[in-house]
Order: sequence, then structure tokens, then C-alpha cells
Amino acid sequence: MAGLSPILKAEDLSKRYEDGLLALDHLNLTVGAGEVYGLLGANGAGKTTTINLFLNFIPPTTGACFINGVDATKDPLEAKKHVAFVPENVMLYGNFTARQNLEFFAKLGGRAGLTKEDCYQVMRRVSLQEKAFEQRVKSFSKGMRQKLGISIAIIKNAPAILLDEPTSGLDPKAAEEFLEILAELKAEGKAILMSTHDIFRAKEIGDRVGIMKEGRLVMERSRAELQVEDLVKIYIDYMKSEAPTA
Amino acid sequence: MFRTIVRKEIAANLLSYKFFIVILLASVLVATSLFVMGRDYRNRLADYQLIRPEPGRPIAVLPPNPLSVMAKGLEDAMTRSFEVEVIGIEARTGRSSANAVFAFFPAPDFVYIVKVVLSLVALLFGFDLVCREREAGTLKLILSNPVSRATLLAGKWTGNFLSLAVPFLLVTGVGVALFALVPGPRWTGPMLGRLALILGASLAYIALFLSLGLCVSALARRSSTALVILLLVWALLVFILPNLGTLAARQAVDVPSVKAMSEKRQQIWTREVLLSISERGTWAARIAALNDEFDRLEEDYRLKFDRLVRLSKKINRVSPAAAFVYAATEIAGTGIGEESRLKEEVIRYKNRALPDLTRDRTSAAAPAFAYRCRTVGEVLAAGGLFDLAWLVVFGVVFFGASYAAILRTDVR
Repeated sequence: MAGLSPILKAEDLSKRYEDGLLALDHLNLTVGAGEVYGLLGANGAGKTTTINLFLNFIPPTTGACFINGVDATKDPLEAKKHVAFVPENVMLYGNFTARQNLEFFAKLGGRAGLTKEDCYQVMRRVSLQEKAFEQRVKSFSKGMRQKLGISIAIIKNAPAILLDEPTSGLDPKAAEEFLEILAELKAEGKAILMSTHDIFRAKEIGDRVGIMKEGRLVMERSRAELQVEDLVKIYIDYMKSEAPTA
Repeated sequence: MFRTIVRKEIAANLLSYKFFIVILLASVLVATSLFVMGRDYRNRLADYQLIRPEPGRPIAVLPPNPLSVMAKGLEDAMTRSFEVEVIGIEARTGRSSANAVFAFFPAPDFVYIVKVVLSLVALLFGFDLVCREREAGTLKLILSNPVSRATLLAGKWTGNFLSLAVPFLLVTGVGVALFALVPGPRWTGPMLGRLALILGASLAYIALFLSLGLCVSALARRSSTALVILLLVWALLVFILPNLGTLAARQAVDVPSVKAMSEKRQQIWTREVLLSISERGTWAARIAALNDEFDRLEEDYRLKFDRLVRLSKKINRVSPAAAFVYAATEIAGTGIGEESRLKEEVIRYKNRALPDLTRDRTSAAAPAFAYRCRTVGEVLAAGGLFDLAWLVVFGVVFFGASYAAILRTDVR
């Protein structure tokens, strides 16, 4: 997006697995500060592979990805200081309380010396009920765990956030609350890359939306373009088409 | 970062039922072992007070070793009374362990508890350290932070090792202190030094099994798979390999049976008696000839037996359980090396006492038997240090394999 410095950047990024499967094919993508990028696509399209490459869970076959200017493959530990991650199913330590989980992951993210009140404030921000702060996480619903997951991302205070299908399995109210939090983070200048199946929410929150098919980014539209185009129709048309087009 | 992970592992253990059940079980076993073996020791000490040889009697007998409470080893064989006769040495076994059940089952000493139970406990701590996090999805969340896999591995290992070692040392310390409170020999400085070394060997042994658990946990995709693999490996290392090693050594070295030795001795005895009658030689000369012949026979047997023992030990060391038992028993003074040295000392004692016995069997005053156990330095130099180092090597190899495995772990 013009005028925004790219916090997340994929350059000619490809991933071919040992079994020969081409999971990602020469992806070029940028997400600027204060921007939400919605990455749509069917299962196996390459959305999660993209996130895994940014987090250096797997090495790229070609190309590179950068977080806040740091090459995630060459210096993964430095790159991870600048990114927070919320997985599809936030699974935490069931025997720890919400606060203990938050404190642990905050310390891993480099936020030492946090007080209980600091943790409570972040959990209040994501509308987690006060009584849940000191409850063991094993009794939490999926919605509560997702809220705690986004708390962990918030408390890290990183310039970039990666979200892997964060609203999957959430009820409409919880999903709506989730999007409100994302809007706040966007307003704070975070660069957010969100992979999702949810076309409507991608359109609602995304400044840009990309559609992936068979490892390739086959379409990209800005919020302005989507005001006049039907994203659902575009998405279905691309899913039906035989071969991906550039 | 490392300390954060260590603290989290300890906290997670303290909050889990598994930790309390396993630690409680291990603690009860360690405490029970020290209690049972302590009672056994006191019974043997009371027996020793009763049968202690009077001055002048040619009997070699050792008092029971207090450290046999920790490592029974060959204590029963070493505390037999060896009575010097004109025709050789008579070993009396009537004063062996007061608990007859020990004849059927291994002595439930501290070393046995560590070898069997604590190794299993260490595996139960280690089997799901990595794969459970992957199954739960927390591994992705951890590694999305600036945490290297090496730091994660070291933190997990340290946290779990401390969770195991601290309760283990506490329970053992209390058990040893209680044993020292009851009447009997006190723990002397050198004995406490040996005790500390046995505890060190135990910790090295527990650590290597924790590393093994961690390694398989990093390799396996499921914690249930890791558990099954580890149980098989544990049975192999702790029970099967040490026994197979001994059997293999027996195939390689031909040692005459006790029955064959007895028949051979009988033949020599009969021949010398017949010669004595026909040649009418002096009694002392015939006895000396008889003893020379017996000594040669014994020497030949001992050489073959020592070769068998050396080979068995070498083969058995493929199992860390065997290396641990060798190290702990030698340090305690109840090992194969100490027993072999005692036998040599008894033969030397016989040779010193025999001339007096053959001259006058009734009034001769035999010298008192004196035996000095090897010092810790001597034990370490004679192979103890090698076994301790071998345990550390096992631990380092397993930890290195864990590191290689976690680098290859698919986080997705």
C-alpha cells in the first residue's frame, strides 16, 4: 500500500516439500504499518505455509521473507522479536491460569517485569471476564482461549501480527469482538496478516485482500476496489477456474 | 529466556497429578528400601558380634559394610567367614543375609531402586516433553517467539531434572539421616564421601534416562508412540542387555563348574592320602604338597573366572544400568573388584597362618586377619571413574541426539 512502510514482506517466496508438493509458488506480498491484509483461499492453498515461512517453522525453497526489515530465514530470532502470532486454535497450558500463561509468553516475547495489573489490563482490553483472569485455562471455551491468544499477541507489543484463521470456530459475537480488537491494533499501526476462510470478515477488516490457489497469489484487491466488486463472486470464480492465473 | 522455561517446567510439574503420584511412589520406595536394608544391616551386624572370631583362631571375617544399605552388591559373599584349615579354606555361608526372601528376588537396595524405578520415572518425565507440546499446539506458540530450539531443549531438560533431583535428594537425605540416628556405626567422613559419589552416580544415571526420554519425545510424532518405544528401550537397557552380556561371556570363556572343581579337589585329596600311606612321608610335607596343588587349581580357576568377569563387564557396559551398578557397588565397597581383592587377601592370610597350623593344630595362635578396604581414589583408578565417565558419555550422547532431533522437529 502506497505510503506505508512494509513491515511484512515476502520476496519471490517458494516452498516445495520433500515429497515434491509445491506449497508456495513465488509469492510476493507486503503488509505495511497500520494495514490489515486478508489472505483467502481453500485448504492447501498456501496460506498457512506463508505464515510458517514468516515464523521460520520451515525454510523456504527460494526467496526470502522479512519482518520489520529482518530476514526471517537468516536471523529468525531477531525477526521473531518483531512479530506476534495467533494460531487457529490457541492451545495454552491448561494447569496454568490465564495470567500465568500470559506472563510466560510475555517473558518469551521479551516483556519481562510485568505486574499482575499489566496482565489484567491487557485481558480487560480483549473483554476477557475478570473472574477468568486467575482461572485455570483448561476450563476455558474456545472463544476465551482465542481472546487470551490475542492478549498474548498484544502484550508482546510487536509491530507485526500473524493470524492463522483466528475466527475459525468462533460464534458470531466472539468473531465480531475479535474483529473490533483487530481494528484497534490496526489503528495503533500494527501490520496484520490474517489468513482466513471467512470472506465477509476479510472484506470487512482487510485493507487489502488476496486470494491464494495452489500456492500462488492469484488475485489481490484493495478496500476501494472491493467497494465496487463482489468479493464472493471473485472468490468462487477463482476457485472454479482450472489453472491459477497470475 | 532459559530461566523462564526452567521455571515454567518446574511450575507445570508442581501443578500436575503425574508429578505427585510419581514422586510419591519413588519417595516411598526409596524410604522403604533404606528402612528394609537398614534393618537387614543391623541383623547382620548382630550376627557378626556373635560369630566374631576369638583371638588366635584362623578365621577371616569382615564386619558388614554400612554402605551395603545403599548398594548390597556382593556383600553376602564378602562377609562370609573364611576358616583356614590344613587342607585349605572353608567358606561358611550361614551368616548371609538375614532376609531369606532376598535369595529369590534382588535385594531392594537403593541402587536397585534407582536402577529400575528412578530410570522409569525419568522416562515418564521425559517421554512427552516435546511431542505433547506439539500435539497441544503450544510448541508453535513458543517458537513464534525469539526462543532457539537449543534454549527450549536445555530449559526443558533442566526444569525436569531439577523436578526429579530435588525430591530424590531430599528423600534420600532424610532416609540416610534416620539410618544414622539408630544405634550402630556412625557415618564417617570417608563414608559420607562415598555416599555423595553414589548419589552423584545416581543423578548421572537419572539424567541420562531423562535425556533418552527427551530424545524419543523429539523424534516421535505422538506421545503414546514415544511412551511405547521408551518402555521397550528401558526393558532392554535395564534387564535384557545386562543378562545377555553375561550369557554371551559364558559362551566365550570356559570356566569349570563348582561340581567339577569339587571332584578335582577330591581326586587330589585321595591321591595325596594314598601317597602319604604308601610313602610314609611326613604329615607336614604332604599337607604342603596338597596345599600347593589346591593353590594351583584355585589359581587356574581364578584366572579363568577373572577373564569371564572382565569380559562380562565389558559387554554389559553397553547398558548404562550395568555401568551404574558397577560404579555404585565399587564405590560402596561391595563390588566385584573389592570382592576379588578380599579373596586374594584371604589366600595370603591362609599362607601366613598355614605353617603354624601344620606344626601344631591345637595350640597354634594364628595371626589376626586384617583387611583394609580400597580407598575411593583406588576404586576410581581401578575402573570406577571409567564407569562414572561412561554414564556421563551416555547422557551427553542422548542429549546430543535430542538436540539433533529437535532441530528436525516439524513444528507445523
